[in-house]
Amino acid sequence: MSGVELAPAEIQVLQDLTILVFAPLLSGAIAKIESRLQGRRGPRVLQPYYDIAKLFRKETLVPEDSSFVFLAAPVVAFVCYLTVPLLIPVLTSFPLPLGYMGDILGGGFVLALAGFSVALAAAETGGPYAQLGSSRAMTFGALIEPSILFVTFTVALVTGTDLPYFEAAAVRSSLSQAVRPAHLLAAFAFFLVVLADTGRIPVETHVSTLEFGMIDEARTLEHSGPALALLKWGSTMKQMVLYVILINVFIAPWGLAGSRQLGPVLLAIPAFLAKALGVGTIFAVIDNAFSKLRLFKITEFMAAAFLLAALAVLVLYLGGG
Amino acid sequence: MESLLAAVTAPSAVTDAAETVAILVLLSEFAMLRSALSRSQVNLYAFQSLAVAALAFIVAAERHVNDLFVLGSLSLLLKVVIVPAILSRVLREAPDDVAGSHRLGVASMVMSAIVLSGFGIFVIGTMPIHSKLLPVLALAIAAAVILVAFLLVIVRSDVVSQAIGFFSLENGVSLAGYVLAAGLPLIAEVAFLFDLLVAVVVFGVLMRVHHGRSASLSTRALEKLRG
Repeated sequence: MSGVELAPAEIQVLQDLTILVFAPLLSGAIAKIESRLQGRRGPRVLQPYYDIAKLFRKETLVPEDSSFVFLAAPVVAFVCYLTVPLLIPVLTSFPLPLGYMGDILGGGFVLALAGFSVALAAAETGGPYAQLGSSRAMTFGALIEPSILFVTFTVALVTGTDLPYFEAAAVRSSLSQAVRPAHLLAAFAFFLVVLADTGRIPVETHVSTLEFGMIDEARTLEHSGPALALLKWGSTMKQMVLYVILINVFIAPWGLAGSRQLGPVLLAIPAFLAKALGVGTIFAVIDNAFSKLRLFKITEFMAAAFLLAALAVLVLYLGGG
Repeated sequence: MESLLAAVTAPSAVTDAAETVAILVLLSEFAMLRSALSRSQVNLYAFQSLAVAALAFIVAAERHVNDLFVLGSLSLLLKVVIVPAILSRVLREAPDDVAGSHRLGVASMVMSAIVLSGFGIFVIGTMPIHSKLLPVLALAIAAAVILVAFLLVIVRSDVVSQAIGFFSLENGVSLAGYVLAAGLPLIAEVAFLFDLLVAVVVFGVLMRVHHGRSASLSTRALEKLRG
C-alpha cells in the first residue's frame, strides 16, 4: 500500500497537536463518565473547551505585589507540557528524531519545571490558599519522586536504556515481557504516580471547591483570564501526557503506527483516545469507590507506590522478575 | 533497536507465574503490616496462604511431584479455611479495639520493611544457590517474607498481629521449603502443618485468656506486669 508518507518532523508536530487538541476532550469525557457513575447527567463532553474559550475572553487580574513571574508561569508551564510529547511515544512505535533528546527522567524534569513555575507563581501572590497549595504540591511532589526514580531504574534494568520507546518495544516484544513481575510492579507503581499527579482520589478531590483539601488545584486560585485558561488547558494536557506514558509505555503499547504512512499515524489518534478512555474509566471508578485520604495519610499512599517500585528493582537485581 | 531487544531475555512463563505468586505473598505480608484492623489481617493471611498453596500446585505440576498436590490441598484446607475461621471466631467476641496498635508511623514502618526485605533479597542473591524447581528469586522473597513477618511481630502491639505474624512466618518458611526441598517426604511436611495447628490452638487460648484478663487485645496491657 502506498500512501502519503509523513516526514518525521511532521509527525512530531502532529504529536503536539494531538495533545493540544484532544486533551480537553479527554478531560471532558472522563468527567462525563464520572458523573454518569454517580447517577448525575454531568457537564457536556465539550465543556472544557467552552471553559477555556470563555476564560480567554476575560480580563487578567494581577495581585498587587506579584512580578512578571506570575504572568510568565502559565506560559512556561504550557510550553513544558508541549515539550514532553516530543519525547514520548504518542503516535508511533518507532523512535522519532527528537525522542532521543530526553529519557523518562528528562520528561520528568520538564514536567517538574512546569509544576515548579506554577508553584512559584502561586507562592508569589501572597494569597494564603495559593501559597498553601504550592507548599503542599512541592512537598508531595518530592515524596512521589523516589517512586518515579525507581520506575525509571526498572525500565533501565529491563531495556538497558531509559528511553520510553525502548520500554514500549520490550513490552510489545513478547507476552512474557508484558506479564513479568518486575514490569507489573513498575507499571502499577506508575499507575499510582499518575493517580497522585493528576490530583485524583485518594490523594486529592479534583472537583472539590474546599480549599483545605486542595493540593494542586489551590495553586491556580489567584489566576484569572487567559492565564487561568492556559493553566486549565495545561493541566488537561499534563493529564493526557501522563496517560500517554502510562498507556503507550507501560500498560498497552499496542495500536501505535509502525510506519510513517499518513493512515496508520492518523489511526493511532483514535486508538489512543479509546485506550485513554478505558484508563480514565478506571480512574473514575477509583474516584467513586474510595474516599480521600487525610492529608497526613497521603505519605502512606506514597509509601505504597514506593514499595512497588522498589520491589521491582529488587526483583530485577536477582536476575529474575 | 532489535539488537538491543535481543539482549533482553524474558524468563519462561512458569517461572514468571511462580515469581508473580511469590511476590503476591510478599505484598500481602506488607499489607498485613499496614492494615489497621485485625479482621482484615486475618483475611490477608487467608489470601497469603492461598498464594502459597497455589505456588505448591505450580511446582507440583511443573515437576510432577504428586506429594506436593496432596500437601497443597492440605495446606489449602488448613491455612485458607480452618485457621482463618478459628481466628475470626476468637475475634468475634473481641471488639475491634486494636486499630492503633502501630508502634511506628505507617510510612516509616513500610520503609523499614522495604529495607529489611531488600537486605533479605541481597543476602540470598550473594549465595551460590541454584534451584531447578523454582527461581532463586522465590527463595529470596521467602527470606524477605520471614524478615517482614518478624517486623510485624515487633512493631504491632496486639495479640492478633503477633499470632498472624507467627503464622505468616510459617508461610514464608513453606515458601522457602518449596524452593529448596520440594521432594521432602509428605509425612515430614504434614508434621509441619500439624505444628501449625498446635500453634493456632495455643495462640487461640492465649488470645482468649489475654482478652479475658485485660478486656483488650493490646499487649500494652502486659506492660503493667513489670515489677
